[in-house]
Amino acid sequence: MITAAIIAFYLGVVAYSVAATLFFVELARPDKSFGRWAASALGVGLTMQVAQFASELSIGEASPWSLKFALSLSACSLSAAYLALRTRLRIDAIGVVAAPLSLTLLVGAQFLEGSGKVTGFPRTLLVMHIAANLLGVGLFLLAGAASAFYLFQERRLKTKRVTPLQGRLPALDSLDTTEHRLLLAGFPLLTFGIVSGAVVTARLDDMTAASVARAALAYATWVFVAGVLVLRAVAGWRGRRAAYGTLAGVACMLVVIAIYVAHSGARGGL
Amino acid sequence: MIVVVGLSHRTAPIEVRERLALPADRVPSFLRGLVEREPVGEALVVSTCNRVEVVAAGTDGARSNLTDVARVTTRAILDLAPGVAGSLYQHEGRDAVRHLFRVASSLDSLVVGEPQILGQVKDAYDVARESGTVGGVLNRVVPRAIRSAKRVRSETTIGAGQVSVPSVAIDLARQIFRDLSKHTALLIGSGDMGETVARLLRHAGARLLVTGRNDERVRAIATAMQGEPRSFSELDATLVEADVVVTTTSAPHFIVELEQVQRLRRARRGRSSFFIDLAVPRDVDPRVGHLDSVFLYNVDDLSNVVAASMDSRRREADRAEAIVAEEAQSYERWADAEQVTPTIVVLRERLRRVLEGEIDRSFSGKLRHLGPAERAALSVMVEAALNKMLHPTTVKLRRLATDPSSRADLDQSIATLNELFGLEPDAVDGVASVTQSEPPDPALDSDLGSREAS
Repeated sequence: MITAAIIAFYLGVVAYSVAATLFFVELARPDKSFGRWAASALGVGLTMQVAQFASELSIGEASPWSLKFALSLSACSLSAAYLALRTRLRIDAIGVVAAPLSLTLLVGAQFLEGSGKVTGFPRTLLVMHIAANLLGVGLFLLAGAASAFYLFQERRLKTKRVTPLQGRLPALDSLDTTEHRLLLAGFPLLTFGIVSGAVVTARLDDMTAASVARAALAYATWVFVAGVLVLRAVAGWRGRRAAYGTLAGVACMLVVIAIYVAHSGARGGL
Repeated sequence: MIVVVGLSHRTAPIEVRERLALPADRVPSFLRGLVEREPVGEALVVSTCNRVEVVAAGTDGARSNLTDVARVTTRAILDLAPGVAGSLYQHEGRDAVRHLFRVASSLDSLVVGEPQILGQVKDAYDVARESGTVGGVLNRVVPRAIRSAKRVRSETTIGAGQVSVPSVAIDLARQIFRDLSKHTALLIGSGDMGETVARLLRHAGARLLVTGRNDERVRAIATAMQGEPRSFSELDATLVEADVVVTTTSAPHFIVELEQVQRLRRARRGRSSFFIDLAVPRDVDPRVGHLDSVFLYNVDDLSNVVAASMDSRRREADRAEAIVAEEAQSYERWADAEQVTPTIVVLRERLRRVLEGEIDRSFSGKLRHLGPAERAALSVMVEAALNKMLHPTTVKLRRLATDPSSRADLDQSIATLNELFGLEPDAVDGVASVTQSEPPDPALDSDLGSREAS
């Protein structure tokens, strides 16, 4: 089974690499067939990643509460969200970010400890806490990519610059809608993750400087995302403002992940 | 090889091109009439608003006298339109092949890189096939030209970007609002270019509102474009509804002010607005373009995008020329090698017949005791021996055929073979006519299946 997991990992790496390459090629050359092949490769990568973890979990090589699992789950949710929204909103170009991010998370996860040890805490709540946070991470990373694309495209149209990418990037409308839908989907997950995280921290009595910073930044992420959603609904804040708000939230979230990774490296597991 | 005779925007003004304009329903009869004139054996007509060209090949395939084919083709064109002689050009052989490849690849078009010409060449080929005026030569060269054009489109960005102000405006609208059918456009005024843009927006599915100071004119335009007329006094409310605003009035002052748009943005709840100001003097305060979620392009901005697209296409044209040259060269190599095919086929047939005759005689004589399996094995052995014997000759002839400097050697070799093996010219011609009626290359034919919209 361990061999099956290794094979699935390498196939996943190859598939994500092919997807990333094809998305770049598609951006450079206006040929829709590249995009279709890239999306298929991304789908294969996602399947291989799920297969890898299924194999590792079945033989006890990986733990659902390990950082390794966490990063992989983020990659999966990111790829799955992209594939789900791609055709509907015509956001093919975001694949240029989605595929390399998935690849980075998949490969990065291999360098982390696979067997996290958590004691003195209800197992079900912990699983839900981790799953909610990491599915949310995948969705927010994609929302961040959509926001970055929005700002680039908006600036290009405002400054009236003619670039080789003209006509190959998604429409502003699509990018704005993508970002909004991903935030809407990720926000309940983030909220649950923060609440359950507070409970975890209190139960484990884990009041280190790192955990406090982590919590503070998680709250900041929540405030930014909530702000973007509320202001859009109440005051019609869309477009550039929403994109900046989303990027600020994603930046906070990335710092939280960095603290997790650093802290987990020192401690082993989540 | 082929000849191309015709005229285009490069040699003839529109009033001359009009004289040779060939309606689609008259093309088949013209083609059939042309191939009845010796020595023309195959023909097709590429007829667009910028060119009318006849592509023809002789009855003798690769060995046809192209000068005669061109002369007869020119005569047929002049019978159709006597006054165009001074504007006609003609290409023969390799020049004609390259010209056809360049035309299909849109390198000879008025707007380099425009996509319509490829569809028009495909249509011309289809019409000729249906008319029965396409044979071995055109069945090879035209699909190759189409393949070359497809390579140009997929390997270069020669077709990227828009090259007219109205199409650039629509392209930009699509970069802001993905699906225009879910959006509302407003036309203010009645300039020609504004109406063209509004018509394109309507064709893209946008709901169209029309307003202006002249109510009668507004109603007429709205009716013509299936839009909704709006009173100019309701401009503020109409601007709130509109996502794309096209202005084209002759007003000497701004008709859309900064403060007005600032005020209306709140009512639009952050939705993007795209102002296309086609008026000179301008209709929209340029400061409007600095507002969040508001995009403003005037005539100069749109013209700059057009100019950049044209520059880009010109740069890409060099890469496209290289592809066309490569494809044309590949075709020429193939066509050169094909010259010796009839000789090789006749020689093989002659030898096979002799050997089969001897085998049949033996099967009914000394070898009559052989069973079906042994007889089949003997036939296979003789066929293999024949292939081995002819292989060096075939290779040598094809090598001579593809080397222009070996023309005399090739002719000498063919003459020697004819003499030594008694290959009669009639027999060679018979084979040549068989090869001419071959169907087109299936690999190339599959290219024709994926037709582009034109």
